[in-house]
Amino acid sequence: MAAIRPVTRSRNPAQRVGTVVFAYAVLIFGAVIIVTPFLLSFATALKTPEQFSNTSTLSLPSPVTWQNFAELFGPEHNFISPIAVTVQMTVVILVVQLSCSILAAHAFARISFPGRDVIFWAYLATMMIPAVTTIVPLYGMFTAAGLRNTFWALVLPTMFGSPYAIFLLREYFRSVPDDLEAAARIDGCGTLRVLWYVVIPYSRPIIATLTVITVVSHWNNFLWPRVITSGPDWAVLTVATAGLQSQYNGNWTLVMAATSIALMPLIVIYLIFQRQIVNSISIGGFK
Amino acid sequence: MTGSTSFSRRKALTLLGAGTGGALLAACSPNQQQAQNKGGGSTGSAKTTIGFRLWDDQVAKAYEKAFAEFTKQNPDITVKINLVPWQNYWDQLPVDVGGGTIDDLFWTNSLNFQQYADAGKISDVNTLLGGVDDAWQKSVVEQYTYKNKLWGVPQIADANGIFYNKSILSDSDPRLLSQVGKLQWRPGGGPGDTLLPALRKLTVDSNGKTAADPGFNPKKIKTYGYNAAYDLQAIYFPFIGSNGGRWQADGSNKFVFGSDPKTVEAFSYIVDLINKYHVAPSAADTNDNGDFSRDQFLQGHLAIFQSGTYNLANVADGAKFGWAIARNPAGPAGSYGVASGVIVAASAATKNADAVKKLLGWLGSADGNKFIGESGTALPAVTTAQSAWVDYWKGKDVDVQPFVDAAAGKTIQAPRGTGGSGSSDAYDPILKEIFLGRTPVKSGLAEAERKANAAIGK
Amino acid sequence: MSRRSRTLRRAAVGYGLLAPSLIGIGLFLIVPVLVAVAVSFESWNIISPPKWLGPENYLSVLTDPDVWHSFLVTAQYTLLVIPTQTLLGLGLAVLLSKRLPGTPVFRVIFALPWICAPLTLGVVWKWVFAPTGGLLNAIIGTRIEWLTSFALALPAVSFVSVWTQTGYVALFYLAGLSGVPSDIQDAARVDGAGEIGVFWRITMPLLRPTTFFVLATSIISSFQVFDTVYAMTGGGPGAPGRTDVIAHRIFSLAFEDLDLGKASALSVVLMVGLIVVTVLQQVYFRRRITYEVAG
Repeated sequence: MAAIRPVTRSRNPAQRVGTVVFAYAVLIFGAVIIVTPFLLSFATALKTPEQFSNTSTLSLPSPVTWQNFAELFGPEHNFISPIAVTVQMTVVILVVQLSCSILAAHAFARISFPGRDVIFWAYLATMMIPAVTTIVPLYGMFTAAGLRNTFWALVLPTMFGSPYAIFLLREYFRSVPDDLEAAARIDGCGTLRVLWYVVIPYSRPIIATLTVITVVSHWNNFLWPRVITSGPDWAVLTVATAGLQSQYNGNWTLVMAATSIALMPLIVIYLIFQRQIVNSISIGGFK
Repeated sequence: MTGSTSFSRRKALTLLGAGTGGALLAACSPNQQQAQNKGGGSTGSAKTTIGFRLWDDQVAKAYEKAFAEFTKQNPDITVKINLVPWQNYWDQLPVDVGGGTIDDLFWTNSLNFQQYADAGKISDVNTLLGGVDDAWQKSVVEQYTYKNKLWGVPQIADANGIFYNKSILSDSDPRLLSQVGKLQWRPGGGPGDTLLPALRKLTVDSNGKTAADPGFNPKKIKTYGYNAAYDLQAIYFPFIGSNGGRWQADGSNKFVFGSDPKTVEAFSYIVDLINKYHVAPSAADTNDNGDFSRDQFLQGHLAIFQSGTYNLANVADGAKFGWAIARNPAGPAGSYGVASGVIVAASAATKNADAVKKLLGWLGSADGNKFIGESGTALPAVTTAQSAWVDYWKGKDVDVQPFVDAAAGKTIQAPRGTGGSGSSDAYDPILKEIFLGRTPVKSGLAEAERKANAAIGK
Repeated sequence: MSRRSRTLRRAAVGYGLLAPSLIGIGLFLIVPVLVAVAVSFESWNIISPPKWLGPENYLSVLTDPDVWHSFLVTAQYTLLVIPTQTLLGLGLAVLLSKRLPGTPVFRVIFALPWICAPLTLGVVWKWVFAPTGGLLNAIIGTRIEWLTSFALALPAVSFVSVWTQTGYVALFYLAGLSGVPSDIQDAARVDGAGEIGVFWRITMPLLRPTTFFVLATSIISSFQVFDTVYAMTGGGPGAPGRTDVIAHRIFSLAFEDLDLGKASALSVVLMVGLIVVTVLQQVYFRRRITYEVAG
């Protein structure tokens, strides 16, 4: 069911063109500012290390070389491993965390029970302390449990829910119209079915948004994986990329190539989900 | 419609659930699989495996060869290299030492060993090997001697020197080519100073005027003479040493760089090179970018690049012009470098004490240390193994003897500390302002010294 | 009796739904926070066992003028970044929701900054702002020392943050705009309201949950920023540094000075401050948010 086209008042066609031109001008101007650093980064990935140190950072790659990318997948760096580890970690965290967060947010948003607000604020408070401080106790816990440098160590801390996600979902779940829920309950739905058949479909845009955000933030997570893993076995993309640098050499051509590689899957994910976010079914009535 | 959406939803969910379940169960790391496929030989009977941690991937390759040789000679001991990148090394080390998961042997530098010695986490060389070897580079031994004990076996000695661009020098004045290794500097550019006049000749603006010519435009410099900058290892420590100044008090970690007049003179000289005589790039370029000077040199815009062995590979790979190496300019006290080396420390919690002792003894001998020299990656700290390094570079048409001489020559100790960077966080911003010319040298250094000492509790 | 059993049932349902997250967040987030609070009263350098100190860390941290300076810098940074990125993000979302041809391309482009890992972005921006051979100076034509200038360093760093986050904020507003019922907007237009009026009186208030969420989380994360800032300026220029943000102080205390007691104390202070700020926002917004549109 497509959105009902808004009733447009008759406007001066010149005015309309003017608005469109203005919109494009702004978008293009913004896009140029956004893209330029990425062009710089990608150009660097296409340079040989010799050219990078011999010429200005602004020079165009000449010759254009794919050796940095090839080197990343070669025996010395073996980037397939960090990619595989990162993919598995992200998938597991995404699916489990999203489910747990949805359950929790539903409880906070639509069910009133004693202690609800206290717990919610406790969740929120954990967002307000810099990760740096909580990492050391967490590291201690995992080492004591013998889980240091394992896959579980990568996923466990955030697998069962994220205060950020719960906060976000709660705000949106609260805006689900009460009558929708009431109607479902009259039909005999229990809480879980209400969640499944009413709240979640209603909140598809925000769940899609949250999916993208969760994938991106765990894909790019650096601090915890760096602390809890060591060595090449369980290194994720961010850790492996930082590991390309040595004490005296930034190895920027390699690092930029690695960053470009890390970026590709995220762009794909974004493309897939952004349609969900915007082209959603318009809310306006019962189904 | 409800039917179809819930069907596709269910299908998607099943797929997702299967995928996640699969990932959880498999949770495989391709690296692990490879290691397993190679056939686990280390889970043998009476074999001991020693862990060895370091940060340099190039030197690690040399160690691989070294350890292969060691295992040939000692078949029941294998050594496993744990390469932790420089970026993570110093965060990981205290956590692992404190948590008991540190490797048996690990590299460390002079800023990061005193605290482990104090906490009893590393063993000293007398206990391990019975004594200090004469062949070890004296400056490195001195650097790592604390409370009268040496806390590890020296592996690498860094040495200082200058790289110079032969064509720029000969274009300016061919006599410079023979003088460049014997340049002298004096505080304030006083009598006997040959460095400043040379640098002024070498610095050229976009109109072709040198810094000694009237009408020189410091805003449009095309070629710089020198890389005077806020660079501890390459620039200001050698200058302090060669003027007879001190950074820290003898025998303690207390900072004296503001109260020692010779140190203040050295800083004034460097800062003047940048802001008064314009023979070096502005601190706005170099303060936060450690690669700037090196890149300017490689691009052919810098005549004399004062640095050390650590940049040798970069220069050899990147320079497209004729270049050579010479000793640092000498001050009133002579030509100085920074005593800077890397030791391998032994964890006191090791379970393989005998094997560790054997390996350490071997690594401290010419036989063990020469592998590093042969790879050309760094100057070995065992002096009897250094010829291997010289030969490697001779094979590449580079005479590195000035570095070897510098390592055996006069040196000033690298900064000592207990691993905390609280002191450098205290003086760093002030010193950067001094180099930018926004804070006067004398009062700035005094203030920085006060704050740095307060940060370490002195 | 039946009201009690209804409450019990609701509690059972509520806690049942909450169970997985309670375990996970409780164990892996709340417990470390409690440990951090405990550590804040101790002196600990990770290597040796901790020693009890009492409130000494708090006293030392709260009387340190450099710490207050860091809070000030972080507050200035927040004031520069948050309003800008929120307004720009909102505007961008409005533009992107108009479904002009080519919009999907723009949407991906504006997402690039926040989906890219921050490590390399900091360095690339250093190349942009570099005084010699930097992109910006090459475009402008004159030499400006952006990152070492007292006046320009913080704005430059703030600009980079806005650059990074605007697309992210826009994402939320896009999701929010999708939830704004078009029939109400149409009704308003039929009644004669202009586009701006429709936007201001109908759309904006309905976007308040989004705005609340965006503001609350942006402020929390802006007080914890440090990666990109540090990569660009190292906290300088000047002593105390013009871009010396509080999160860097905490990181430096924890991992460079190995003084976890002080780092934890400072973190607790920060956390308390952020809780207060968030509660204030919550109070402001609660009174003004209509969560659902009746009918």
